[in-house]
Amino acid sequence: MDKLVLLVVLPLLAAFLMPVLARSSQVLARLSGLLVLLISITLVLNVWGEVDKQAISFAIGGYQPPLGVVFYIDQLSLLFALLIPVMVLIFWPWNRPSSIQEYSLMMLLTASASGLMLSGDLFNIYVFYELLAVASYGLVSVQVRQGQHPVVAWVASLRYLLLGSVGSVMMLLGIAIIYLQTGTLNLAQLSLLAPEALNNITGLSAFVLILVGLGVKAELFPVNTWVPEVYAGVSTRLSALMAGLLSKLAVIVIVRLLVLLFPQPEALHLMTVLGMLGVISGELVAWRAKDMTRMLAFSSIGQLGLVFIAFSLPGNIGLLAGFAIALHHLVVKPALFMLAGGWSGRLEKLSGMAQSSPYHVALFVLLAMSLLGVPPLPGFWVKLLLVMNLAVQTDPVYHFALAFMLLATVLEAAYLYRVVMLFYKKENHTHASSQHSLFDWITAIALAAVLLISVVQLPSVERKLVSMAYQSGNRLLYIHTVFANIGTPEARIDRMSPTDQAKQPLVSEPSIKEKAIKEDLVLGSAEQ
Amino acid sequence: MRNVSGLLFSGGLAFLLLVIATHLPFGQPLMLVGSDIIQASPHEVGSANVVAAILLAYRGIDTLGELSILFTAAAGVGLILGHRASQNVPPTQVKNNSGFISQKGIELMIPLLLVVGFYIIFYGHLTPGGGFQGGVILAIAFFLPVLVQSDARLDHNIISIIEGLAGAVFILIGLWAMFYERPFLQPFFNGLFAKGTLGELWSAGTLPLLYLALGLKVGAELAGLLATIADFSITETQGSLSEDDTQ
Repeated sequence: MDKLVLLVVLPLLAAFLMPVLARSSQVLARLSGLLVLLISITLVLNVWGEVDKQAISFAIGGYQPPLGVVFYIDQLSLLFALLIPVMVLIFWPWNRPSSIQEYSLMMLLTASASGLMLSGDLFNIYVFYELLAVASYGLVSVQVRQGQHPVVAWVASLRYLLLGSVGSVMMLLGIAIIYLQTGTLNLAQLSLLAPEALNNITGLSAFVLILVGLGVKAELFPVNTWVPEVYAGVSTRLSALMAGLLSKLAVIVIVRLLVLLFPQPEALHLMTVLGMLGVISGELVAWRAKDMTRMLAFSSIGQLGLVFIAFSLPGNIGLLAGFAIALHHLVVKPALFMLAGGWSGRLEKLSGMAQSSPYHVALFVLLAMSLLGVPPLPGFWVKLLLVMNLAVQTDPVYHFALAFMLLATVLEAAYLYRVVMLFYKKENHTHASSQHSLFDWITAIALAAVLLISVVQLPSVERKLVSMAYQSGNRLLYIHTVFANIGTPEARIDRMSPTDQAKQPLVSEPSIKEKAIKEDLVLGSAEQ
Repeated sequence: MRNVSGLLFSGGLAFLLLVIATHLPFGQPLMLVGSDIIQASPHEVGSANVVAAILLAYRGIDTLGELSILFTAAAGVGLILGHRASQNVPPTQVKNNSGFISQKGIELMIPLLLVVGFYIIFYGHLTPGGGFQGGVILAIAFFLPVLVQSDARLDHNIISIIEGLAGAVFILIGLWAMFYERPFLQPFFNGLFAKGTLGELWSAGTLPLLYLALGLKVGAELAGLLATIADFSITETQGSLSEDDTQ
C-alpha cells in the first residue's frame, strides 16, 4: 500500500528530469511523462478493490502520526487518484506543439493533485494546493487559445495569480489559527480534538479563511471572478481540465475538512448561502453570455454552486448528493468545452450549424440535456437526489436553496434552449462551420459514452457512490485508520466496513471510544 | 468603489484577526507534537539539529513539495519571459561595467561565498542552517558577476541540468529507501552512511545527502530565476529602444 506514494513522487521525478532528458532526446523526455501516467493508472488499478471494506493509511518516512505526515486512502481518494492521471492523459496537449517545460508543468500538476487527494495532514495539503496553484498559473499563461493574443491571456493569468495568492495566504492564516488552537496538524488528531477545540467562533473563522482560500480553485461565489477570463483565454483542453477536475479537487478537500474538523451547523449554512449565490449569479450571467466558452464558464460556476449546496446538507446524504453532482459535472463539462473549442466567436455566428455538422450538434444537445437534468440521463438523477433531500430538510435555509436551485435550472433551460434553437435554425446560405480537431471530437465522444454507460449501469454507480459517501463521512473510521498502528488491539478491530457500521456499538458511544484513543495517544507518545 | 470594498475587506480581516488573537493562549504554545519530536529525533533520525530532522525526516514530503513549488515558479517564469525574450532582437553588448573596485571585490567574494554556502549546507544537520539557506548563498555567489558586469551571463543549460538532477537525486534517495523495504524518504543508515555519533559531521545516515541535493537545487533554481529576469530586462530595454528608433 505504501507504494501509492509513487503516485505523487513519480510525476515529480519525471517533471524534474524532463528538461534534462530533453537535451539528449526529445522523444524520450516526452514519452517519460506518458509512461509515468500509465504507471500511476496501473498502480491505482492494482489496489482498486482493497479499500472497499476498510480505509488504509501509511506514514511517509515511517514516522508515525501525529509526528510524521500520513497519507490516507479510502474509496474517495482512490477514485480521484485514478481520475487525475486519466484526465491528465485525456487532456494532454496532444494537439499543439509544446515546449518541454509545459509537459513538466503538466506532470507537476498531476503530482500535486494526487498529493492533495491522498494527504492526511493539514500543512501537507496546503503545500500541495500551493504547488497545484503555481503549476496552473504557469499553464494558464502558456497554453493560450489559438487566435487569442498572448497578452490577453497574460493579463487574465496575472489576475488569477493575484486572486489565487490572496486565497493561499487566507488558507495559511486559517491553518495557523487551527495550529495555534490545537497544537497539531494531523487531520486525524485534529478531528479528535475538534469537538472541543474548534467548536467555537475561532474554529469557525479558521474555516471561513480556509474556505475562501480553497474557494478560489473551487469557483466559490465571491472569489470566482477569474473564471470566465481564464477559461476564455486558455486552450480548450486546459479549460476542460481546470473546470472538470481541478475545481473538484478543491471541493473534495473542503468536504474532508468539513467532515473531520468543523461540525458546526454555521459552517454548513455558510456553504449553503455561498452556493446559492454562486448558482444564481453563475446562471444569470451565463444567460447573458455572448459566446459559447464564456457561457460554459459561467454555467460551471453555477454547477459548482450546486455542488456546494449539496455538500452543505448535513450527514451522509449530503455527501452522496455532492459526489453525484460533482462527478456528473466532471464528465459533462469537459465534453462541452471540447465541443465549444470548435465553435469560437459570437453565438449568432453559430446559427444554422446543424446543417453543416449535425453530429457535433446532436452530441451538444445530448450533453446539454444531461446538464439540465432531462430524464433518463444521469443529470436528472443527480438533480432529483438534491431536490428530494433539500425538500425534506426542516431548516428554512435549505428551502431557500431549493427555490434558488429551481430558478437557476429554469434560467439554464432558457439559455441552453436558445443555443439549440440557434443551431437548428433554417438558413439558406449558412457560413457556419465547426473547426473541431479530431482529438477534441474523439474526447467529447468518449466522455459522452461514459455518460451513457452510467445510465445503463445506474444501480452499480449508485452503490459505489453510497458506499463512498458512507466511508468518507465516517469521522471515526478516519481516526481509527490513521492511529491503528499505535492504538489498542480493539481500535484495530474496530476498523469496520461501512455497511455493517450500524450494528457496531461504537457509533452510539463515540465519546468514550474517542477518549480511549486519546489516552492511547498519550501513552503511545510517552513510550517513545 | 473597488477601493472602498478593498478597504472594508482588509479592515474586517484585521479586526477578525485581532479578535482571534485575544482568544488564543498567549505565551504558552500548545506543544502536542513539538516536545515529542524533540524527545524522539536524536535516536530516530540522529541529527543534532532538530529543525533538520523535522524538515527532512518527519515532514520530508513537505520539503519535497516546497522545492517543487520553487521549480514550478522558475519553470513558469522561464517559459513566459523566455518566450518574450526570444521574440525580441538579440541584444548588442552595452559596455556598462561598474568599475574596477566592485569587480575585484566580487572576485574576492565569490570563493568566500562558495565556502560559506557549502559549509552551511554540509553542516545543516548539526547547526542552524541547511539546504535552503546555503542554497541561497550559492545562488548569490553565481549571480553577483551578472550584477556588476553587463556582459557576464549565467549558462542556463548548466543551471537547468543541475536543478533537474538535484531534484531527481532528492527523490531517488527517497526511492532508495523503498528499495530496502523501508518507507519512502526515510533517512536511513546503511554501510557508508552510518548513523554515526550524534553531533559529528559524518552522522544521520543519508540525511546530509538529502540536504546537499536540496541546497544545490535551491541554489540552481534561484540563480536561474535571477538570471532569466536579468536577461529579460536587458532584452526588454533594448527591444523598447529599437522600437523607439523605428518610430
